[in-house]
Amino acid sequence: MGPRTVPAVPNPAAPPIPAGLERWQLLELYRYLRLTRTLEERLTALYRQSKVIGGLFRSLGQEGESVASAYALERGRHQDILSPLIRNLGSMLVMGAQPIEILRQYMAKADSPTHGRELNVHFNDLEKGYLGQISHLGDMVPVMAGIALTFKMRGERRVGLVYVGDGATSTGTFHEGLNFAAVQRLPLVVIGEFNGYAYSTPPTKQFAVRDLAEKAKGYGIPAVTVDGNDVLAVYGATKHAVDRARQGKGVHFIEVKTFRRKGHAEHDDQHYVPKEEIERWARTNDPIDRFTATLLDHAWAEPAELTRLDGQVKDEVDQATDACVDEPLPAPDTALPGVFVEPATAERLWFRSL
Amino acid sequence: MARVDVLMPQMGESIAEGTLSKWLKQVGDEVKRDEPLFEISTDKVDAEIPAPTAGVLAEIKVQQGQTVPVQTLVAVIETEKGATTAAGGGATPTPSAAAQRAPAAPGAGAAPLPAKAAPVSAGPAPTVSDRPGPSLTVPAAGKGDGAESAEERLRRRSTPLVRKIAAEHQVDIAAIPGTGFAGRVTKQDILGYIERGAPAPGVSRPAAAPAGAVEHPAVEPWPGDRVEPWSKIRKITADHMITSRRVSAHVASFFEIDYTRVAQLRAKHKAAYAERGVNLTYLAFIARACAEQLRQHPIVNAAVSGDSTIYRRDINIGIAVALDWGLIVPVIKHADELSLLGLARAINDLGERARTKKLTPDEIQRGTFTITNPGGFGPYAGIPIINQPQVAILGVGTIEKRPKVITAADGSDAIAIRTMGMLTMAYDHRVVDGADADKFLADVKRMLQEFPEGAV
Amino acid sequence: MAEITFLEALKQGLWEEMERDERVFILGEDVGAYGGAFKVTEGFQQRFGEARVIDTPIAEAAIVGAAAGAAHMGMRPVAEMQFIDFISCAYDMLTNYVATARYRAGLSTPMVVRGPCGGYVRGGPFHSQNPEAAFFHTPGLKIVYPATARDAKGLIKSAIRDEDPVLYLEHKWLYRRIKESLPEGEEILTPIGQARLAREGQDLSIITYGATVWKSLEAADQLAREDGVSVEILDLRSLVPMDDAAIVATVRKTGKVLIVHEDTRTGGLAGEITARINEQAFAWLDGPIMRVTAHDVPIPYAPTLEDFVLPQTDDIVKAARWLAKY
Repeated sequence: MGPRTVPAVPNPAAPPIPAGLERWQLLELYRYLRLTRTLEERLTALYRQSKVIGGLFRSLGQEGESVASAYALERGRHQDILSPLIRNLGSMLVMGAQPIEILRQYMAKADSPTHGRELNVHFNDLEKGYLGQISHLGDMVPVMAGIALTFKMRGERRVGLVYVGDGATSTGTFHEGLNFAAVQRLPLVVIGEFNGYAYSTPPTKQFAVRDLAEKAKGYGIPAVTVDGNDVLAVYGATKHAVDRARQGKGVHFIEVKTFRRKGHAEHDDQHYVPKEEIERWARTNDPIDRFTATLLDHAWAEPAELTRLDGQVKDEVDQATDACVDEPLPAPDTALPGVFVEPATAERLWFRSL
Repeated sequence: MARVDVLMPQMGESIAEGTLSKWLKQVGDEVKRDEPLFEISTDKVDAEIPAPTAGVLAEIKVQQGQTVPVQTLVAVIETEKGATTAAGGGATPTPSAAAQRAPAAPGAGAAPLPAKAAPVSAGPAPTVSDRPGPSLTVPAAGKGDGAESAEERLRRRSTPLVRKIAAEHQVDIAAIPGTGFAGRVTKQDILGYIERGAPAPGVSRPAAAPAGAVEHPAVEPWPGDRVEPWSKIRKITADHMITSRRVSAHVASFFEIDYTRVAQLRAKHKAAYAERGVNLTYLAFIARACAEQLRQHPIVNAAVSGDSTIYRRDINIGIAVALDWGLIVPVIKHADELSLLGLARAINDLGERARTKKLTPDEIQRGTFTITNPGGFGPYAGIPIINQPQVAILGVGTIEKRPKVITAADGSDAIAIRTMGMLTMAYDHRVVDGADADKFLADVKRMLQEFPEGAV
Repeated sequence: MAEITFLEALKQGLWEEMERDERVFILGEDVGAYGGAFKVTEGFQQRFGEARVIDTPIAEAAIVGAAAGAAHMGMRPVAEMQFIDFISCAYDMLTNYVATARYRAGLSTPMVVRGPCGGYVRGGPFHSQNPEAAFFHTPGLKIVYPATARDAKGLIKSAIRDEDPVLYLEHKWLYRRIKESLPEGEEILTPIGQARLAREGQDLSIITYGATVWKSLEAADQLAREDGVSVEILDLRSLVPMDDAAIVATVRKTGKVLIVHEDTRTGGLAGEITARINEQAFAWLDGPIMRVTAHDVPIPYAPTLEDFVLPQTDDIVKAARWLAKY
């Protein structure tokens, strides 16, 4: 990319922005992408500093599809609801999750959204519109089908969206949940993330179809395959599906082709992936780099605007980190309440009172 | 100046140690926050570890090539920031620490930090119920005494093991000082007590088995014989029989009783007793007579202890019951305080529960006198063995119609048909002399033959 | 003799059985090319080939079901659950199909289902579970749970050779923390159904299994030093079938019993063991049978919370001390 002169105001000669988006929305998308990546980089550092406990899961290389697909939903209180997997941090940020909440979750702080009880992004805010997963893959599909079912029952014009990885499509609950949603014509959009690996297992060991979209046929629902690292393409496809779902046209399946550039988790060195392949994706097919280039090439944004956003994001992550990094862990006997409504707390065992 | 700890991180759930493969900085170097500080290698993965804070690398604790457990202190960074930050970001919370919040970094121009997320629904503030040890409230079972607490029961009856030892050695748990939970008698307490044989002051010494365990000589079985090892109860009985004969100077007195009056009273009142759920037996009458006369002849209601005679305060009459699996002697406590009805009922009840194995250990302890009644198919008379540590045992011979010489008021003799039976009392001549025994039995005989109707 | 870890011993056991019997094969997620999430099967695919070390899709019910079918046909499958927490996805197959196969249909199903279980690793609710209670009451399924490196090897070998389906639980916290010298050239086979005396003692018996065996040993040392109390520790090793005779023997010896396990109190195996002791050794009890277990809550993630919920060495010390004084 050579130097260019970009006018301070939007260039009237710039081509129209696709998918009905406005310029400020492109900048917002950019901000979310950058925030996702920067926050995860900070989490990685914290993990290596023994401040993050348990495992750390990056979405490096997949930020585009997470952010873009979530962006197509109606956001705000009591609107659309999505269910993210561990590599969909971007989607949660778009729906209104705050960096400090994510940091607190990873660091097991007493004030984390789950009060230290659950790890990484396994938390929810149904009002804002995200429902964190449990580790059993596929399980969120029937749950989101249930949520979409209530939209239908109550005649609400709300849509549900659920992410599945290529591995998750092998599970029984994926099948049962998707089949149920399809036959009920529920307002549910399924994003199938074909990112090349389920832990160490490649798609050739996971299923016999070539594209995930082929599976959708078995459920009687429409499906498309999209370049997952093309932010606008993912946005457009999702918006189309979400609109149709909102109109009562039932379940839609969107396969996004992308690539997982880090191991399954921080402790996995990914030795089973050829290094050249990782480097190639990083060099030529990074979703944030591509989106940046798109914005600048089409004169939809200026370099200074993006740089300023980068700085703001870094400050935001720094502040959020500083605010909570020294917060305490939960007090031990806060482990007891909340198993049931009634009784309100589990019993403290006899030997703890000796 | 603050000191920040740098630890060996845990790269994976099961990883227990890491090797510091390369230092990227030296002591004295300045480091920036998140700048790579050192490299590690573990079973799963190698990684660069970034500095947790900006500052100066002040100390290196782990050398290149060293392998240490996770969470080991690897280095210390000195920083300008405020108070010392312990590794892990405030690992041990205290209630007051929960209220503290690190201040926002200076110069923050961005939007204020968002409010805390809605908390996970946890209900009202819980009052965690603390208990000093497990709950021991056990509903008091048994004899209708509902007010006994768990601790009292424990002191009275201790545990199964201690009760077993107590029964084997004929020791009264209540006589032993206890050092266990709630003052109960422990295994050590009772074993020590038995070994020492020394009672606490004022407490009667239990009948310890005499020195020299009972050994029954071996006999060779012949082909075709069936060898049956003893059950626990048979062994106890066998040992006791031998021991009793060794300990006491056994003699016996035989008295012939005319039960005709008793028979009449029995026939007359049997139905009324049956209505009250009680089977009125000869044994009840005999027990009634004994209970009253033991009060008058305390030497027969005694025990021998070393060189002393113990005169028992209570009159607890044991009624021997022969079961399929052995002999057992349930005891009627305070028999002298019971009416004929009460005694009859007690005999029925204890016999029934003996047969159905529902007796409690307490009910076979602390007898002071024993009656053994073989019943309808028994002998004319027998010579029983004293039930230690008592000094007398009464055997009831078969009761049947026999001819007897009756002297009329005018002195003429006739033969009449009367209901007759023998009473044999075996007694310990160490302390019960013939005259004592005979006076007691004579009074029992007289009471049976002249049984007052009012006492039925 | 070099010391090897629990994990290496398990690996050795699997390797030896794969060498010895070509009917033995492994299936599970990431077990082949990757060598397993915890590296238990590292190197296996290179040695035994893709046909005998199969990388499956994410499909626990299919993994268990397929293993059952193969076992009917004479193979000896070893099915891995990547984390035992995911065995719930195979619950139907394992309890309804596999456990009942011989009884209802005379179907031989010699298979092993194995996976890493247990907490103390800050894994949160879905990477820390001890699921034995869920399967314990299902007739037809054996359950083993080694605590030592030797038994890790001995029990996997015995499990593979057993004619019945066996659930083999390996504690992830023990994987790399337990080291032992195992004799070379000796065929190590731990009999299923036999407990092991981990420590002899006179005053009190701890009956336990899994990671809490080690916590109990620590506690016993402390009690010997500080209180002069002599603790006997029985490592059950085998949950189904359970070694009743060994349990009764230790109860008769000491008269005082503390049952320790990492699973929750309600419905955990301690209740069953207590009932058996009550039935078979009541007369020898010199105190109530007590238990040290996890609290009845899901396993939380934060270290302070997890440490509170799970039983610790200090808990065992205090409980044993209380019982010894009873």
